[in-house]
Amino acid sequence: MSKKAAAPSNRTLASKESTLFKELLSLYENKQLKKGLKTADQILKKYPEHGETLCMKGLVLVHMGRRDEGIELVRKGIRMDLTSHIVWHVFGLIQKGEKKYEEALKSYMQALRFDKENMNLLRDVAQLQTQLRLYDGLVETRHMLLRLRPTVRQHWIALAVAYHLSGNLAEAKKVVVEYEKTLKNVPHYDVEHSEMLLYHVRLLEELEQYSEALTLLDVSAKDRAIVDKTAIMEFRARLLSKLKSEEAEHAWKVLVEHNPECYDYYKGYMSNQNLDLDKNPAEALAVLREFSAQFPKANVPRRLSLSLASGEEFKALAQPYLLSALKKGIPSLFVDVKSLYTDPAKMKCLEDIAESIRQDTSPESSVPSSSSTEPTTYLWSLYFLAQHYSYLSEHTKALDLLDTAMSHTPTLPELYTCRARTLKRAGDFYGASRAMEDARRLDGQDRFLNTKSAKYRMRAGLIDEASALLGLFTKKDAPSPGADLEEMQSLFYLQEEGDAHRRAGKLNLALRKYTAVQRVFDDYEDDQYDFHGYSLRKSTINIYLNVLNWEDHLRSHPSYIKAAIAASRIYVDVFDDPKLASGNVDGNSTDAEKKAKKKAKKAHQKEKEDAAKKAATAAPNNSSNEDKGLDVPFKDEDPDGMKLLSSPEPLELAWKLLQPLTTLAQNNIEVCIAIYDVSIRRKKYLQAAQALARARALDSEYPDLHVRIVHARHFVSSLPEAIPPPVGPVFNETLDKILPEGVALETYNSQYLQTHSTSANAILAAAQASRVLGAPLQEVENLLFTALGDGVQLDIKTALDISNFLKKVKSSRVDELHQALDTKFTISTAFKAPEELAKLRELTVSTNMNGSTEKLDNGTAVPIENEAELGKGVST
Amino acid sequence: MNIRRARIEDLPGMQACNLRNLPENYSMKYYLYHCVTWPSVSYVAEVQGRIVGYILAKMEEEIKEGEQPHGHVTSISVLRSYRRLGIAKKLMLQSQESMATIYRASHVSLHVRKSNRAALSLYRDTLGFEVQGIEQKYYADGEDAYSMRLMLKHE
Repeated sequence: MSKKAAAPSNRTLASKESTLFKELLSLYENKQLKKGLKTADQILKKYPEHGETLCMKGLVLVHMGRRDEGIELVRKGIRMDLTSHIVWHVFGLIQKGEKKYEEALKSYMQALRFDKENMNLLRDVAQLQTQLRLYDGLVETRHMLLRLRPTVRQHWIALAVAYHLSGNLAEAKKVVVEYEKTLKNVPHYDVEHSEMLLYHVRLLEELEQYSEALTLLDVSAKDRAIVDKTAIMEFRARLLSKLKSEEAEHAWKVLVEHNPECYDYYKGYMSNQNLDLDKNPAEALAVLREFSAQFPKANVPRRLSLSLASGEEFKALAQPYLLSALKKGIPSLFVDVKSLYTDPAKMKCLEDIAESIRQDTSPESSVPSSSSTEPTTYLWSLYFLAQHYSYLSEHTKALDLLDTAMSHTPTLPELYTCRARTLKRAGDFYGASRAMEDARRLDGQDRFLNTKSAKYRMRAGLIDEASALLGLFTKKDAPSPGADLEEMQSLFYLQEEGDAHRRAGKLNLALRKYTAVQRVFDDYEDDQYDFHGYSLRKSTINIYLNVLNWEDHLRSHPSYIKAAIAASRIYVDVFDDPKLASGNVDGNSTDAEKKAKKKAKKAHQKEKEDAAKKAATAAPNNSSNEDKGLDVPFKDEDPDGMKLLSSPEPLELAWKLLQPLTTLAQNNIEVCIAIYDVSIRRKKYLQAAQALARARALDSEYPDLHVRIVHARHFVSSLPEAIPPPVGPVFNETLDKILPEGVALETYNSQYLQTHSTSANAILAAAQASRVLGAPLQEVENLLFTALGDGVQLDIKTALDISNFLKKVKSSRVDELHQALDTKFTISTAFKAPEELAKLRELTVSTNMNGSTEKLDNGTAVPIENEAELGKGVST
Repeated sequence: MNIRRARIEDLPGMQACNLRNLPENYSMKYYLYHCVTWPSVSYVAEVQGRIVGYILAKMEEEIKEGEQPHGHVTSISVLRSYRRLGIAKKLMLQSQESMATIYRASHVSLHVRKSNRAALSLYRDTLGFEVQGIEQKYYADGEDAYSMRLMLKHE
């Protein structure tokens, strides 16, 4: 009797068809789709209800791009033969292609029930379990695979990794040791074996078995079994430090010699020597001085010394540091030293040094010029000082310095980028865009400047113009510059354009871009799938474990957080005021945009027709062998974001974005506030209260938090009936700790205002809170206007926020506010009257377009990198 | 500044840096593929947590008969605002050392657009690469590439 249960009668094929079916399987393996389809049809002619064949035919069709048809066949096939491992395997493959990993795993488990020792199934199951982080199940599957094929080296490694992931490092070590025993005659310089041994060392380090780790490392290094020199040195230094060995100091020194520009090595050296940079800076400085002498070209020890030194010593170190960088014309000098500005004395000292270098090198200087580099030193000192004053909001001074620099050397793009940044900070977004475009035109081949100019156009609301510029460097055959950038996962572009649309009130388009950011991260997450098998084959385990860890924290990336918060705010606004979704979306389009939209619609229509035509001509012979794969191609069914904006469940969409952040970005106060806003509206009261408590622990006086605390208290008191237990009491208790019940909210609000009377942000928060409490508009307005007062710190960003809030509450005093702000911020154009803004916009568009958007200027401007002696030709 | 081996969490920063600087761009999976296959030959320059320069490198996979193993630079760039610090050279040297000691690479190759004079000068004048020949229509848009190489020294 056969061990396998006899096949059910409806699966048995006659011998001819049985041979054909085997052929079908091998044709599929080799992706001979056309032939496979034919063979399947041959079988189905005689056995039209043969489940396994139906499924295989369906699978082939999906590969050929006939997805819907294929899937229907697969479903039918399953119904015909529920106990076949093949039908479930096929279904699992299809679900995996749809990224429905959980469901795919279920299908695979079903398949395994009917074919317990199928290696292909087991391998796929292991990958799915890894993707889903089901590590206990993974250990079982890996055990099974090893039992079935103990001679496959990869199966040993895979089991060790499974144990490692499940948290059982001791078992992982056992497996690795057992595995190494089976090895004979490993050749020297075997990179894969080297990686395996490095994994073993890491495992021992994580198990805190440092001396065992060190022995293995040293022996393997001596045998040339581990060939990665850098990795050997890094492990060695770290292990010796952990063992408190005297050799550690030398090991760290060796690393510094190996790469004197690696900050981590100096840090390792210092901490090994118990040199606390804050507590005994003098000793640390002495060490750095030695390193500087040994590696005079290395930047790290010299720069780190600046952070540690103070007083006269700082001055003595800073002077040559600045001078040498200005002589070399290093554009990043200011950004490099900016972090020292937290110490006002250091800031002043750097300013004095730079000013004195400027004076000494100035053409009007009485000091006789000696060195030929002086004209450029002068130029770069002007550039440095302009950034310095711009950073300190002394905009006029910065702009004057730049004017001097530009008349000295009109061809240095950095001067124009600095001018642009200064104008942007001062609130002149149009002027900033024109300046950045000037910079770009000086080096049309440089994508960096192109990107900058596009960004500044978006900041000025010139979205179409920005897109035209970006198009100079994107693929010519892409549907649009934005489509290429989205495909290439440019988070920067998606964020900037999303924000630009949001500022222009086109919430649908903004959501469209923010959702694209979300999709980029989904793709990053999916990307790991293929590596679950691949890395084990390559035996690059250390890096693979890092991949998994990175994937687990993916959405803590600042781009994701920003997009998630921005989108969730829109969803909350739409929930509060559904008119936002239906109303003015088309109303505020410009003519150009309307035209573009029409054009896009036409193009879309044509595309559809073309596709239909193609399909029609292709259908009769459908002879293509082209494999379209199993992954579902992304179809953009909401190109203008209207489906997102008018979704009946905006809060659910918002929550989907925020949910991963509840664990990944707990320490971000903006995240906490966004979670509160969404949760309180979703009636998830515990979540809301926890978010408030967390925010309060981070910064109890944060203006946006103040508004939420008032909102929460007011919200509870205006509920028609108390929140029922068990949630209600816990919610109240948490809220009581933040702000006890019974405190009059108006009083609480005015106390907050009093404590922070010089902060414009706090004034705005107090105004928003009083609005929540139902204060009359006039009172809110009066409060907001106090932000203009003399003693109040007000910047452009907050001024814009105040203006937006006034607009939101439909105040009639917006113009009045703008006039006052326009007088206050002399350089800014942000608060000009609409007619004037229209003129400025027109001017910017026409000057930016003038001279057109040429990318290749055939050598009219020499890239700065080549221009070793910039001073040449301008020093006359 | 911190010049060090690329880590997985650097990949989005490398991708962003590449998108700002160069017209040849890649999706994340390609970066992952490089780092998972050859984890020791890509390097980054990091300043206060931001990636300001990177070298994305690999070993040549299809070696012709009789050919020595050799490395290939898929992409290298430094943000314009961080130039003149010698970052590209430092990245290149670190990567070359790993290629030579770990994979016993005899040389390293790369491609550059014919029209990209700035890059050509960087590779030739600063990094010591030599033009081997021209690859017709190497780029998707039909532009030719110079194929360049640099011999590596062995101890």
